[in-house]
Amino acid sequence: MLEIKNLHATIDGKEILKGIDLTIKPGEIHALMGQNGAGKSTLSNVLVGHPAYTVTEGSVTFNGKDLLAMSPDERSHEGLFLSFQQPVEIPGVSMVNFMRAALNAKRKYQGLEPLDAGAFLKLMREKRQIVALDNKLTSRSVNEGFSGGEKKRNEIFQMAMLEPTMCILDETDSGLDVDALRIVAEGFNKLRTPETSAIVITHYQRLLDYLKPDFVHVLIDGRIVMNGGPELAMEIEERGFDWVKETLKD
Amino acid sequence: MKETNQYIQFFEAERKRIDAGSSVILNARRDEAVAAFARLGFPTQKVERYKYTEVAQAFAPNYGIQTRAALEQELSDDKVAALYGTLADVNADGVTALNTMLVQDLMVIHVTAGEKKEHPVQITNTLGAIAPLMQNRRMMIIAEAGAEVQIILNEKAEAGQNFLTTQVTEVFVGEGARVEFYDIEDTHERCHRFHQVFANVAAGGHLTHTVFTLAGGVTRNQTDVRLMGEGADVQLLGCAITSGSQHVDNNTLIDHVAQACTSRELYKYVVDQQSTGAFAGKVLVREGAQQTDSQERNANLVCTEEARMWTQPMLEIYADDVKCSHGSTVGQLNNDALFYMSQRGIGPVEAHTLLKQAFASEVLNEVPLEALRQRLAVQVEKRFRSCENCKLCKK
Repeated sequence: MLEIKNLHATIDGKEILKGIDLTIKPGEIHALMGQNGAGKSTLSNVLVGHPAYTVTEGSVTFNGKDLLAMSPDERSHEGLFLSFQQPVEIPGVSMVNFMRAALNAKRKYQGLEPLDAGAFLKLMREKRQIVALDNKLTSRSVNEGFSGGEKKRNEIFQMAMLEPTMCILDETDSGLDVDALRIVAEGFNKLRTPETSAIVITHYQRLLDYLKPDFVHVLIDGRIVMNGGPELAMEIEERGFDWVKETLKD
Repeated sequence: MKETNQYIQFFEAERKRIDAGSSVILNARRDEAVAAFARLGFPTQKVERYKYTEVAQAFAPNYGIQTRAALEQELSDDKVAALYGTLADVNADGVTALNTMLVQDLMVIHVTAGEKKEHPVQITNTLGAIAPLMQNRRMMIIAEAGAEVQIILNEKAEAGQNFLTTQVTEVFVGEGARVEFYDIEDTHERCHRFHQVFANVAAGGHLTHTVFTLAGGVTRNQTDVRLMGEGADVQLLGCAITSGSQHVDNNTLIDHVAQACTSRELYKYVVDQQSTGAFAGKVLVREGAQQTDSQERNANLVCTEEARMWTQPMLEIYADDVKCSHGSTVGQLNNDALFYMSQRGIGPVEAHTLLKQAFASEVLNEVPLEALRQRLAVQVEKRFRSCENCKLCKK
């Protein structure tokens, strides 16, 4: 469903991605590991169309369509979702208005009528329970005054509302304690359908204990340098990225 | 000078008729007003408080001024006669002088001591004419000791004509009285509006003055508040939403004369397309006005490269035991928020609308009158949405 070929991207003229190749089929979970600055977040930003990045070479196909030709909101409507590493606070915009605008924009794209207020609130209530997100939070401004854990839970809640087919979890585990991590990961697992795919970006094994990746990729200096199964993540947890570099030298 | 003479000649030719059709209360101030206007003329942009708005040009076209030749009934009220023109100083401002010179109608809202009005007083002015029209209006709000009143002024205009209005409002807030005065302009680009509010607040009194400019052409609002007695309190709120070739200038003065008074001021602008906004707010803390507590803030969203905003918060302090702050910001919509919204599928038009509404909501949330707050929230949303994106009128 997602096919990345020889992807090169720059920010402020500096090349960060130097030829990424990655194919993700429906239902697969791919873990992307690597040290800070390796290009993990750049890859997720490029996929969702962050305006600061420029693609200089390569292609990305999503469900047979040219992803790079779409605007960020179209990519979202097509089923792409990014759980932000640092979710943005939007003072003055209530979660309800934000979510309604997002959901109805998607419905319009799909040729559906907007949900009426009653049906919308009922849906909010249902989805909220999946990640145990407090009612008080959904009546506040988007992410404003949320704790780190609440922000991440809110990301998964939005995922539940929008039902994407391709999810990118960008360091969803950062800033979470063990209990919050479990709630977020279990929430994601509950939402998964056999067709849901994901790219999970993380430094640690602990999130992968819950999400159970099918494939693990290691990113160094803008390239995928090593591919493997779940055992690769455990190996890295144990021996560190220096081991990866040493192995590559040999 | 040409513009000034045009109005003086008109006044001299029409004086008899104007006097005959007006209350003696208004006529009593005319000699002083015409002399002041002849001397001052229209303020130029060299006059500090008119730096941001061109006045003479606005008054240059030949507007029709309708005058009334006879008065049905004389308004005789000693209190009104004694107070009329005492706050609006004709010798300080050419526009005030012009208004005082030409005005024929005075609206008085007089709430006697201890009287608490249960319902707001709502006044709607709708300008309508088949030729260009100038109106000069006058209003007095008198709240005696302990009185309470809420007044909503809706300013509207029918489409298709040029209008010019001057209004001078004098507000007397008595000891322990409470006045909420809401001024909401929703006119169109062919309207010029000069509204001046002069208010005195006595000891323990409270005034809320709120100005919303939802739509208009050239708007200049001036609000001068004097805190005359210990413990007097004022809240000034303003919100201007501008687009097209619109211009909105809010000029305020909060004068802390007495001690232990409080003032809060918040003005926000959303300046779009080629429109221009200006805010100048001065807080003056006089010698002896100890324990003054004053906060002033002006925040502005400038949406395009062509839009312009001038902001000038000023603080002048002559007392040494005070707590005062003032500040202003000019910025654009938050790119991180826009990107976050776009990732969730919210298109640029809707995202901009939501963020602008969010920006204006800070002022809305401060509006004390609940029912009006709700109405304004809808009006603000309507203003930000172009018709094809608006579902508010449709069933």
